[in-house]
Parts: sequence; structure tokens; C-alpha cells
Amino acid sequence: MDMKRDYYEDIQFLKDHVERFWFAVMLLALAVLPHLVQNFTMYVVNFLAINVIVALGMNILVGYTGQVSLGHAGFMAIGAYGTVLLMTEGGLPFPLAILAAAFIAAGFGFMLGLPALRLEGPYLAIATLGFGLAITQVIGRWSLFGGRMGLSVPAMRLGGWTITGDKAIYYVIIAVTVLLALGARTLMKSRVGRAFQAIRDSDIAAETLGINLAYYKTLSFAVSAFYAGVAGGLIAFALGFINPDQFSFIHSVLFLAMVVVGGLGSTLGSVLGGITVAYLSLKMDVIQELPVLGAVIEAISERFLTVSGMPNAGWVFMGLVLILVVVFEPQGLYGLWLRTKKYWITWPF
Amino acid sequence: MLPQLLASGLSVGSIYALIALAMVLIYKTSEVPNFAQGDMGMVCAFAAYAFLVTYSLPFGWALAATLGVALLLGIVFEFLFIRRAKEPTTLNLIIMTLGFQLMLFGFAGWNWGAEQRHFPFPISDTEAVAIGPVVVSELNLVTLVTALVVMGTLFAFFRFTRLGVAMKATQQNAMAARINGIRTRRILAFTFGISSAIGAVAALLVAPITTLDPTLMWDPLLKGFAAAVLGGMTSLPGAAAGGYLLGLLENLFGAYVSVEFKSVVAFTLIVVVLWFRPSGLFARHYVRKV
Amino acid sequence: MPAAFFEAEHLTRRFGGLVAVDDVSFTVERGMTYSIIGPNGAGKTTLFNCISGIYTPTSGTIRFQGDTISGLKPHQIARRGLARTFQNLELFAHVTTMENLMLGRHLHMRTGLWRGATMLFRRSKAVQEEIAHRTRVEEIIDLLDLHAARNTPVAALPYGTQKLVELGRALAMEPTLLLLDEPSAGMNQEEQQDLVFWLQDIKAEFGVTILMIEHHMQMVMDISDRILALNFGKPITEGPPEAVARHPDVIKAYLGEEAETLLREP
Repeated sequence: MDMKRDYYEDIQFLKDHVERFWFAVMLLALAVLPHLVQNFTMYVVNFLAINVIVALGMNILVGYTGQVSLGHAGFMAIGAYGTVLLMTEGGLPFPLAILAAAFIAAGFGFMLGLPALRLEGPYLAIATLGFGLAITQVIGRWSLFGGRMGLSVPAMRLGGWTITGDKAIYYVIIAVTVLLALGARTLMKSRVGRAFQAIRDSDIAAETLGINLAYYKTLSFAVSAFYAGVAGGLIAFALGFINPDQFSFIHSVLFLAMVVVGGLGSTLGSVLGGITVAYLSLKMDVIQELPVLGAVIEAISERFLTVSGMPNAGWVFMGLVLILVVVFEPQGLYGLWLRTKKYWITWPF
Repeated sequence: MLPQLLASGLSVGSIYALIALAMVLIYKTSEVPNFAQGDMGMVCAFAAYAFLVTYSLPFGWALAATLGVALLLGIVFEFLFIRRAKEPTTLNLIIMTLGFQLMLFGFAGWNWGAEQRHFPFPISDTEAVAIGPVVVSELNLVTLVTALVVMGTLFAFFRFTRLGVAMKATQQNAMAARINGIRTRRILAFTFGISSAIGAVAALLVAPITTLDPTLMWDPLLKGFAAAVLGGMTSLPGAAAGGYLLGLLENLFGAYVSVEFKSVVAFTLIVVVLWFRPSGLFARHYVRKV
Repeated sequence: MPAAFFEAEHLTRRFGGLVAVDDVSFTVERGMTYSIIGPNGAGKTTLFNCISGIYTPTSGTIRFQGDTISGLKPHQIARRGLARTFQNLELFAHVTTMENLMLGRHLHMRTGLWRGATMLFRRSKAVQEEIAHRTRVEEIIDLLDLHAARNTPVAALPYGTQKLVELGRALAMEPTLLLLDEPSAGMNQEEQQDLVFWLQDIKAEFGVTILMIEHHMQMVMDISDRILALNFGKPITEGPPEAVARHPDVIKAYLGEEAETLLREP
């Protein structure tokens, strides 16, 4: 058993040589990935990374601060449209545009945090839902935002280079993802993250300890929105075009699912949940291609249901996953990870 | 023009009111907003379609069968899923209802395919009836009346039947109800069943207006939820009132300001109301004792 | 005349028709142990909630070290050096003992958003601050013997330990005035005696003034300098322990009229 030597280890990110080793391995793997896979896989990886960013932000708000949001797709939209418009109309270079757009999203997050000071549970859910809806409607009807057709995205230019193609964009996206993940993790271990958790567990006690609820609740919304905004800016470049359909209520629901499936209140959980749910949402249309399950689904479709409706089987699967998580492992994938670790350590008992 | 708007507002408000009632019924009992409400109704509407078209049942029988299916669906949902949640926090239960909703949505598409169908309602939505200065479609009239009938039945049920009183008792204090011999777990399942039936009625009233496809109830669900929140999630009459209010506001706004943004306005108004009355218009705000 | 350390003046708190706290006035001198007693429902916790800012008094004033604090928000009152514990425990259930105690240090720390997110290196200001404050918190863990519970989520701890964690958390704030709401509730004889020793240690080491709601009369009599007795929100009497214990209205409130008659000196 490892004995702790000093307080730093409570908050240290990589506690020992073993952890440092694996982290280095992971970074290396991420760095060489583009050389090992096809272009289309790269696109999928980009998509997963971007969703992980949103999941990280959602977790800060929902998992750590105990709030609820059914409108996070709205923040993503602000980030996406903001970045594109600031580049095309405002002439800003990419890094500045995405940062500015993310801050604008954070500003909206702050505003959404204000009703959160008085509302809870389903009431707050409706307020955030309304926000998400409003954003989608506004960008869908206003010609400035391209209406229903959306906008096409200019090329990404970074320090003189033009970055095009899934593999090139990957490096930008993965770098941002890793940075934001580290930031989220350290922030949650710090005084700020503690205050968030205090608000989640007992906001009355938190107040009597000197925590300004108004400040921290709105801060949590703002940070969470910032993450979604950055993700929005990045997805614009990953896809090449943006339209309102990419930021609908369904997406907000999927983001919520990510943090619950991954495990609330755990940074690793958001990464796992983000990857899992995002991957499922991509593969839902072609669920019959799954190794074993796919054949089963095809058989069921032919005998009992309709083949034309088969793509919908993916929804059934996704819904089932959500239900199974709640029934068997409310701590999500992170909970499963903990259990596996414990089993490994205490084997063979 | 105004009376016309009011009439159609009340009609669409009836649907919102029914959905809101269904949601509040469950929320009062288990503190979870049932996001599966809409698609549970949608599946029942498809079932009704199957009864009417595939099996050619007369409307009365089809209706009874559909309500039976709805009741069963609700009971099964509670028994198989809600009850089995390991940590029944509000967020976890919300996720569970969302999961069930996705399953139902997927199942509907999988089973019935993506083609849009016309729902054969015996009452036309184009034939109109004139009542005073107002011209309402027959369907609107039926919607209004049906909603009122449902509400009246619910009211009588809670007031005058043993089961209804038992349900009220369970809502107010589950532990005390159990001590008094009320089988609260069955009551819970039955509450979900009744709520599902109400939702099915709402879906049957929506189906003739639009085409029958799996996304049928998405918009009404959100509006019904918003209406429930507006009225107060812990008050049944409040939920109904919220539904009618929302229907009226939406129509008025759509006519006088902008058709395009009327949903947004409805939601914004609700948020404004919530700022002043965080628990909704008609519910009491309980502060936790420390 | 110098301002009293802490005083409540004509404090009243209504909830609709119910007057939970009815014209209560009292003064606490620095360094005192001041107890508030009374039967259940006498309004004691409501009084505490008014003092710590969770409720705003319907009328009356509360002054602490010269400042008027009635009407301020809880976090503003906390900033002025007032800490409290709760009758039914308001711990942060899903985090560990250490994290609960570190939250007591919140006001004394300054790490914000940027420093918190970049808290990766041992030399960084944020990490240095964390280490310094964890060292401070260690003193409290020593005092209250919480070593075994340090890294356990508090929801998993036994009730008595949880009470100590909440006490420790309040102490971690380094308050000038400590409000304790039934600190010995749920404790057995041995734990109660330990608590008495701890409270005396705390006063000696930290120099706090204690304002306490308590039911265990022996403890109240042993350690209080002055007592305020409430019933139905109204003050019955106020004074040193012996005087209060003998007061007929106090006896009537606790033991009933017959007992009062029996105990009355001929």
C-alpha cells in the first residue's frame, strides 16, 4: 500500500511513476493516431473529442454543482455561429474568433445562471429548455445566421498555415480537448470545485461558510457554457458547415445522457460518457453493422417488425443503455471502472 | 377575430392541459417529470391506428382497447423500470424516463416505418360548427369537451372513490399511507397507468390534426411540460390552468405579434413568471427546514 | 459605552400567523459560553436561523461587533466571523471529511477560477495555498480525533463522527462567534462528556465565544456563563445558570404546573 507523504498528493494529477507512464503513453498514442487510421475514422475521432468537451462542461454544471440544463445545445450553437460570423463578417483570425465566441457563450451562460438562483429541478429544466429552444429558433429564422440552410465554414488558419482535412484539424481539436480536460480536473479539485460541490450537497450550509451562491452558481453556468461554446466553434470546422438542426433539443438530451452514463461528478466519467454516447449516436443509423447484435436486429426486423424502420433500432438501444445505467450502475461508466479496479486489486477474493 | 383566437387557444390549450395533468399526476407521486409521457401517448395512438385500420374495430372498441394498452404501458413502465432504479435521485429518474422515451420512439419507427399516415378519426377536423360569433371545427369542439370530461372524471375519482383517496394519501405522505394499510407500490404503478391513459387521450386528439408519425408528440410534450411548470408542478388544477393559459398566450401572440416566434415567447413568458413565483402560479412554495 | 460583542434587540420572526420568535433580546459578552434552552418548538433554531442570515427578522436588530447584521445574507455574515452548526446536520454528504473541513477554510483562501484551473505544479500559488490550509485543518483533525475519517465520504460515517466533522468545519472558519445547534443531540453519555472537554479545549485554544442551543441540562449547567430560556418564542428568563434553573416559569415549561407547585418553596 502506498503511504501518502504530503498534502500535495491529495490534489496531484499524476501521483506516481505508473500513472505518469500511462499518461505519457496516452499522449503518444493520441499524437500518432492520424498516421494509423483512415480519414473517416479521423472524422469520428474529431466528433468524439468535441462531444467530450461538451460533456466535461456539462459535468461541471450538473455533476459537480448539482444544477440541470436541457439547453446546452444552445451554447454550442452560440460558439459555432459566433466563431464563423466573427471570422467571415468580423475578420477575426480563428484563435481570437473561437475564444471570443466561447466568451459570448459564457456570457449567455451567466445570464441563464440568474434564474438558477431561484429555480430548482423541473422549473430550472424548463427555463434552460426554453433557452435552448429560443436559440435554435432565432438562428433558424434570422437571415444573418443563414436561416434553415445555415452557414458554410471558412478554412481554419492558424499562425499562417491553413489547416484543412480531418487529420490536420484533429491536432487542433485533440490539443484543445486535452487542455480543457486537464483544466476541468484541476479546477474541480481546487477551492472553486469544492465550492461547486458544496452547493450541490447543501447550498444552505455552503452559504453559512461564506460561499456566495449567486457568484458560484452563475460561474458554474458560465464555465459550462464556455466549454460548450469552444466545442461549437470546433465542430464548425470539423463539419465544414453548420445549421440549426445540429443544435436541437435532442442534442441537449444526449449531452445530459453523456454525463449520467459516464458518471456524474467525475472528470474521467465525462470523457468515457462523452465517447460512448457520441459514438452510439453516430452509429445508430447503421446498427445492423454491429458484430453480433446487428444480425439479431436484422432478424427481428424481418420477422416481427419492419426492415424499413431498422435504423430506429439504434434509438431503442440507446434508450436501453440509459435505463440499464440507472438501474444497475448509477455511477455510470466511472462506477464500473472503480469496481473493476477494486476487483483487480483484491483478486482472488 | 379575438373570440376566434380565444376559442382555438382554448382548444389547443386543452391538449396542453391534458398532458400537463398527466405529468403533474406523476410528479406529485414520485417527484419525477415524466419525459416519456409524450411518446407513451404516441405509441398508444399508433396502437389505436392498428386497432382501427388493421383490425377494423369500431371506434368505441378501439378506444377502449387503446386506453387499456395505455394503462398497461404505464403500469409496466413503473413496475419494470422506475421501481428498479438503484439510486432514485431526480436526475437519475429523469434519465430513465428519457431512456424509455427513446426506446418507445425507436420502437414506433422500427415497427411502423417512417411513412406518414392519416389518422382516421370519426370526427372531422374540417367540418365546422358555429357557436355564437365563433366558428370552431368539430374536432376542436370534441377536444374541448373531452378534456373537460377527463378533468371532471379525475376530480370525481379523487373525491369519491376509495382508490382516488388512497392515491391522494400516498401522494401526501407515503409512509403514513402504508401504515394505514394502503398498498403504496400498487398505487404508484396505477398512478403511472392513469397518467399514461390521460396522455393517450391527448395523443388521440393530436393525431387527427397532424399526421401520425413518431414525432407526433414532441412539441405537445414540451408545451405540456411548460404548462405544468407554469401552473405549478404540485397542483393538478394548476396544471390544467397552465395548459389553457399557455394555449391562449401562444395563439394571441401568434396572431398579434409573430407566428414564427410564438413558442419562444411562450417559454420566455414562463421564465418571467417563474422568476416571480419560483414554484409556478398556483402551487405553494415549500422551504426546507434546517 | 462600547458596543457589546453580540446583541439581539427585540427580535421577532413571523411566519404568516405564527410568531416563532417573539420579542427576544439578549447580549453576549466576548469569551462567554451562552446557552439558549427551551422545550421543542420554542423557536430556538428559528432564532439561530435569523442570526446566521437564513431568515430575515420580521422586526428587531441583531448587532455583531458593532455592525448590524440582521438583513444581511448568510455569506456576508459568515465573512464577519460567525460560524454555525445545524440541528439536523448539513454536511456535504458526497465529499470526504477533509474536503468538508477544507470548505471551512473557503473564506481564508483566495484561489479563483484561473488559478484553480492551472493548479498543476507544486510551485504554483494555488497548490501552495492548498498545502498551507490543509496543514491548518490538520490541527482540527488532531483536536477532534478525526484521523480515521479523513478520506471517507461523510455519508458513510457514523452519526457521532458526522457531528464532529460539522463542528470541525465550523471551527475551520476560525470564527469569533460559534453558534452550536444542539451539539450533543444523539450522543451517548461518553460522547457528551468528550464534547464538554472539547468545547472547553476549543475555547482555550481558539478563543471563540460560544452561543449554544442545548437540551442536556447537566451540560448546560456545567459550562454556561449565562442562559436564556425560551418558550413559544418568548423569553421566559435570562441570567446565570443557578438563577435560571430555579425560575418558576422555567420549571413550569419543562415539567408542568404541578411540578412547579410542588417545587415552590413554602
